[in-house]
Amino acid sequence: MNRLKAIADGQDIESVVHEEVMSCDPVLSIQNFSLYYGRKQALHSITMPIAKGLVTALVGPSGCGKSTLLRSVNRMNDLIDSVSIEGDMLLGGDSIFSPGLDVIQLRKRMGMVFQKPNPFPMSIFENVVYPLRIDGERNKSTLMQVCEQSLRGAALWDEVKDRLGESGLSLSGGQQQRLCIARAIASDPEVLLLDEPCSALDPIATSKIEDLIEKLKGDYSILIVTHNMQQASRISDHTAFMYLGRLVEMGPTSTIFTRPRLRETEDYITGRFG
Amino acid sequence: MSQTLQRSRGNHRVAAQGEPMIWLTGGMFAIACLMILCLLGFVLYQGLATLWPRNYLLVGMLDGELAAGEYLERRSYVLSQQNLKDLGPKSRAEAEGLLGQQSEVTSHQWYLRTGNYEVTNRHFQFVPEVSMASDAPLYPPDIWLLERRQWGNLYGFPKRFSWDIDSRTTSMQAVHEAMKETAKISHRMEAAKRELEHLDRRLANARLSVRQVELSEDSDLQKVTEDVLAAAMNETSVDPSMESRFLPVIQSVSQRAKDALMHLAREAIEVQAEQVHINEELATLEQEIQSRSIVMQLPVLDSIGSISVSKNALTSSKTCPEELHPLLGLEGIPSDYTMRAAAIAEHQFLVALQRSETQPTYVWFHTDPASDTATVYGLREHTVLVADIVRLIAPNQLSFLGKLGVYADRWTEFLFGQPREAGVEGGVFPAIWGTIVMTLIMSMVVMPFGVLAALYMREYARGGWLLSAIRISINNLAGVPSIVYGVFGLSFFCYTIGGYIDGGPVKAGFTPWPEATWFSALALFAIVGLIAFTLSFLTGQNAEKNSFWLRWLSLGSGLLWIATLVGVVILLIKIPMFRGFYEAQLPNPTFGKGCLLWAACTLALLTLPVVIVATEEALAAVPNSLREGSYACGAGKWQTIERIVLPYARPGIITGFILAMARGAGEVAPMMLVGAIPLTTDLPLDLEFPFLHGSRSFMHLGFQIYALGFQSQNSEAAKPMVFTATLLLLTIVTLLNLTAIWLRARLRKRFQSSQF
Ligand SMILES: Nc1ncnc2c1ncn2[C@@H]1O[C@H](COP(=O)(O)OP(=O)(O)O)[C@@H](O)[C@H]1O
Ligand SMILES: [Mg+2]
Repeated sequence: MNRLKAIADGQDIESVVHEEVMSCDPVLSIQNFSLYYGRKQALHSITMPIAKGLVTALVGPSGCGKSTLLRSVNRMNDLIDSVSIEGDMLLGGDSIFSPGLDVIQLRKRMGMVFQKPNPFPMSIFENVVYPLRIDGERNKSTLMQVCEQSLRGAALWDEVKDRLGESGLSLSGGQQQRLCIARAIASDPEVLLLDEPCSALDPIATSKIEDLIEKLKGDYSILIVTHNMQQASRISDHTAFMYLGRLVEMGPTSTIFTRPRLRETEDYITGRFG
Repeated sequence: MSQTLQRSRGNHRVAAQGEPMIWLTGGMFAIACLMILCLLGFVLYQGLATLWPRNYLLVGMLDGELAAGEYLERRSYVLSQQNLKDLGPKSRAEAEGLLGQQSEVTSHQWYLRTGNYEVTNRHFQFVPEVSMASDAPLYPPDIWLLERRQWGNLYGFPKRFSWDIDSRTTSMQAVHEAMKETAKISHRMEAAKRELEHLDRRLANARLSVRQVELSEDSDLQKVTEDVLAAAMNETSVDPSMESRFLPVIQSVSQRAKDALMHLAREAIEVQAEQVHINEELATLEQEIQSRSIVMQLPVLDSIGSISVSKNALTSSKTCPEELHPLLGLEGIPSDYTMRAAAIAEHQFLVALQRSETQPTYVWFHTDPASDTATVYGLREHTVLVADIVRLIAPNQLSFLGKLGVYADRWTEFLFGQPREAGVEGGVFPAIWGTIVMTLIMSMVVMPFGVLAALYMREYARGGWLLSAIRISINNLAGVPSIVYGVFGLSFFCYTIGGYIDGGPVKAGFTPWPEATWFSALALFAIVGLIAFTLSFLTGQNAEKNSFWLRWLSLGSGLLWIATLVGVVILLIKIPMFRGFYEAQLPNPTFGKGCLLWAACTLALLTLPVVIVATEEALAAVPNSLREGSYACGAGKWQTIERIVLPYARPGIITGFILAMARGAGEVAPMMLVGAIPLTTDLPLDLEFPFLHGSRSFMHLGFQIYALGFQSQNSEAAKPMVFTATLLLLTIVTLLNLTAIWLRARLRKRFQSSQF
């Protein structure tokens, strides 16, 4: 029987996770993680490792819980009152959901970039050093150094180095998104969470971001949600296919895109699936 | 073919295209615009025209009277058989001719500002055109307008000056010179009067300290105080030996009372000596003031006899007729006088008799066409003190520029001067200042409350029916009639809180507990508070553990906090030891009446909904993606609010705040109850310690309009002032609103993102 149909009917299915993925060195491991919005279950017992220093892509149709999963990693879902969870996630061996954990510290170990660029209404400089500012960093030279580093990291430095005092809102959409990436890497995080970072951008800006992700790989472990299959195949090392809150198949990107183990995955990747 | 046409017509109903509605909607729009324009135009015209100097005219009437005044406007009215009765015989005949067989006919009358209130008993006059003997009025060039400190405007011809005038200057310059001198004297007198007040206050303070001793010792010092004051009357100066003379009077009282009484005695002696001194000075100054006066001839006629002179002789002759001399009691020989006659009407003449350098004497001739005689009328004389004059102009000699100068001068006085004539004339500076200071204090009260409350509601509180209910109530609060706030402010702020500050719980209408009960209650509530603190501390420590018990615990601690708060209020209103900060002044209230502070608090309450709603809207307009971005960077709740949410919402908050100020500045109804008064020279904020006088009553522009227009004894005279004050208030409110719009536009630009 078709697995996707089974999922739609509410049956539990076994996720297929390739051994290459299982055997990698994970920075983050998600273990039997379920999430509920009130009564409604949005994630069903997801187990997957996120490999250290690699790019993991999350694909799947809209509403399948990719963003939910991403937002669980840095506990942004705490902001929603109705959310409750089961299972756990381990970041470098520590539980993300342990009661004694400081959420603020946790979020500082991750950088997050959203679908729509959301620069703050302040100068480019202040945008980038925001994570340091909230830590109370005042030293001008430290701030300047981090700002340059992050902007270089985000491949934006050359474009804005003469106008750091201008409002972050004066940049173009693609530049704004790179500014957000610069802000995300300013606190030197372990994991970068990117939720469809290119969906609001034009092709040129998109390719710049993709180059950037390529460049950041290795220094950071990246978890990226995307709707663009080519993008996933170009930039990611691992790909996870999700459907209606469940993980269907996860494996090395080359395998998933050429000879996945499941028909359903192949159908989705090749666009034969609605 | 024709069928399809028909069908298509059937489908295109006129209403479907909306064309007829354009007329209805557009018409309504036009009417609405017209009404607003009318209101603005009316206030603008009336407000701007009031202070413009007009020409002064004399017009002869058919029945022999003389109408005179500043020409304001020509109005139409209905002349009917009924109002014929009010006219004299000749003008009635004229009016009957005009009416003919009709029962009424539209005619015109002139609206004149007559001034000279103490003689004519009116400020304004309507002169019907049918009663006029001539339609060409006379504009006498020599007429003077004296704007005075009392009694309003005086119009007349200057005749005599009580002091010698340098012949090289014009009489007007001389008077201006004298005005300057008397102004100096008046200043000195005012300073002396302030000094007297200061002395009074010194004495009152000394008495107050005696009263304080009396209150704290619970003794009766009234009799002794009177005796001390009586004894002090006999002393001339403070000297060391006087103590002994006072000892017998004060021996029966305690040492503290003795000290206070001796202090009172010393103060009384000093004050008394200085008072004598200042009163002497005042008397001399007063004499100097009285020595400068002008005799004016007012256009009010007194018949003084008749002489035989023909109309022709009157107009052609250049010298004074012999017979006139005894009638007018003129000095010197008749031929010294030149004569100029100006026709007011066919048989009415204004005649000026002048001898060389002196001022002309005016008489009015009414010649009889039948005989060779003329009735002579003298102009009523009236003495004016130079010190009483605020402004002197010759209205008929002014050029356009001159008028502009007077206009500007009057506006300056209006904006920055003190009121005269019970606010009917002069300036409204205290009202402007009072409005500004009150609005500023209101803003300082309402701003933190409103913004913090809105922050809580939008950023912290969990949505739910309770929050919705509160939000709806706040929205409705904005629609509560403002007089309701006035009543609340009066009873709560003025009488309860103000009374409490003045005289403790008793004065505020509460019965204090006995001390034993109060202290037990104190202990009880202290324990409750301690438990509440411990509980909330514990729940805060374990906030992560989301257990059932914890939830009940936190609810319990919340309830206990509320109980503690209620307890504190109860303890405050039941406290037996506290007798108020101003007990010694009682029964005169200090804060227990309408005053600046309570007015500001009442208005703050009134504008609180506006501020909360505006702030909430501004906060709601902050994109959630910014908040999320900030949290994702590891920022805490308050950091996000402080660094992201508030800066982004600031334009909206400030806009709402300015709108609240505009609303507060224009509010009148509550002001009547909680502290605005029609006339005071005390400013709520001045250079006198402690600078801001929260317990003072104050003048308020909006209230001023009401009080002048409808409460003053002479509302007709006050009408021009009402319009000017209205214009001013409208200008202030408009300026505030414009600032809000400008600010919003300017700040919003900062947050506009460029498109992709
Ligand atoms: N705040 C929320 N409250 C309730 N349900 C939500 C909320 N956010 C997302 N969901 C639901 O959770 C499911 C997964 O959403 P999401 O993670 O945004 O999907 P994706 O990002 O893969 O398109 C959807 O069915 C969505 O309706
Ligand atoms: Mg999504």
